[in-house]
Amino acid sequence: MNRIGSVVRLQLVGWPSSLGGAWVLLTLIFLVNLGLFVAIGDIGDMTESGPQTGAVISIYIIMFVGGLTTFTQVFPFALALSVIRRTFYAAFALLLLGQSLVFGLLLTLCKLAEDATGGWGIGMTFFGVGPLNQDNPLLQVVVYAVPFVVLGFLAAFLSISYLRWAMTGMFVLTASSVVVFGGLIVLTTWQDWWGAVWRWITEQPDALLVAGWPLILGALAAGAGYLTIRRVTA
Amino acid sequence: MSTVVDVHDVTRRYGDVTALDQVSFSLAENRIHGLLGRNGAGKTTLMQILTGQNFATSGRLTVFGEPPYENEKVLSRVCFIKESQTYPQHFKVRHALDAARLLFPHWDEEFAATLLADFRLPLGRKIRRLSRGMHSMLGITIGLASRAPLTLFDEPYLGLDAVARHLFYDHLLTDFAAHPRTVVLSTHLIDEVGDLLENVLLLDNGRLLLDTTAEALRGQVVTASGPVTAVDTFAAAAEELHRESLGRYARATLRGSFGPAEHHRARELGLDVEPVSLQDIVIRLTTARARRADTRPDLDTAPGDAGHTTREAAR
Repeated sequence: MNRIGSVVRLQLVGWPSSLGGAWVLLTLIFLVNLGLFVAIGDIGDMTESGPQTGAVISIYIIMFVGGLTTFTQVFPFALALSVIRRTFYAAFALLLLGQSLVFGLLLTLCKLAEDATGGWGIGMTFFGVGPLNQDNPLLQVVVYAVPFVVLGFLAAFLSISYLRWAMTGMFVLTASSVVVFGGLIVLTTWQDWWGAVWRWITEQPDALLVAGWPLILGALAAGAGYLTIRRVTA
Repeated sequence: MSTVVDVHDVTRRYGDVTALDQVSFSLAENRIHGLLGRNGAGKTTLMQILTGQNFATSGRLTVFGEPPYENEKVLSRVCFIKESQTYPQHFKVRHALDAARLLFPHWDEEFAATLLADFRLPLGRKIRRLSRGMHSMLGITIGLASRAPLTLFDEPYLGLDAVARHLFYDHLLTDFAAHPRTVVLSTHLIDEVGDLLENVLLLDNGRLLLDTTAEALRGQVVTASGPVTAVDTFAAAAEELHRESLGRYARATLRGSFGPAEHHRARELGLDVEPVSLQDIVIRLTTARARRADTRPDLDTAPGDAGHTTREAAR
């Protein structure tokens, strides 16, 4: 347990350039969006008429890439420093959960500020965009946090598969995704299920769509990542 | 003296390439062991298996009495520094030291600072911007300051100049005397480390050719030079590893047991008997084996060689 703590700290070594960088980038993206909407005079009142941007997704992408580098770069180094795979993975999972929660809280604070300022004075929706918009602050934190967890474990599984099977692994993963998803699309079209599928999706509450069902995917990726990392060699 | 590493019939295969072939040996505690052999001999694979970074296809091994694979108790006492060590892209020199400090229970901060100063390593520089030599110095600093009860160095000084290499030897010996631990040193620069090594393991093509003390080995291999007939007579009782002939004069490298009686006999035959340096012993033993393999195709050497080297290079 003590060792897991050390490995969490190992993964945080140099954090200003990784975690800090993510927030600096998000801030820059936010400012560019704000400047852009002011410049083109797209000013409204935080309803459908006001300016909307999905650029908040950038921090999810940055953290996904962060998850990839944790395993492609920090993991081989940790293994060289006599860390065992199980401990590294446990530390990663712990840090991912903590980090997602903190990020969820920070994003929620930004969202509350966005609401309080009437969309940063110009009615811009940057944080509370689309299905991410929740009225309950607690649920809001969960909705922001869960996608980080899911994407983190997906990144872990992908990069661990790469470490273990290199390009063959990537090819098999891509090929099997094509077969599975392509097959589902063909099946749905053939059976004429699209109407039912869309109806089911629109019936789901936003929170469940963003932070409920994806958890199944996250759990599967987390389990698969754990099983895969056990036999990775340096 | 107790045993730190115990390896039993360990084999590692990659597809149809055998990187390690039924290797068995043990390492005594608090000694400096040399792991010698040519490129692609299996040295790195063996050290990776010892440190749980890789695993054997078959065979058994224990480190500090337990299998090392995924064993936190064992591995927290082990430090393995390899030449090809990569560091995370965003790491500066001080980040690598921060990480090592977190993970090695016996880490000595003061010693690390001394080494950094001696090697003139810039703490604030990005590791990927370090020169080849400085990269090696960082590895050596971590390896020495970790004071791990079992410390393995795999070709630790690529790109190091002679001054830095001797700094490493000096620090290793001084610190080893004050804080005895088990050290495994894999290297090509055999003559430079010859005096450091107490024990020698020689790997060739995945097989263990030698496991002996450096002292015993020096007595085991000699060159005998003189008239061809006398050399022939003397060589009959030993294993001939190598011979150079010039007219009626010959010089043979022989392996056997050479005590006072044998030396006396050589003098009677009119032969000069001389000791052989550790480096020459290793060259003779590995080339003698390759020659035998050429003339006897039933031995496993030839076909595996090419693929083996490629794999090592690919890693």
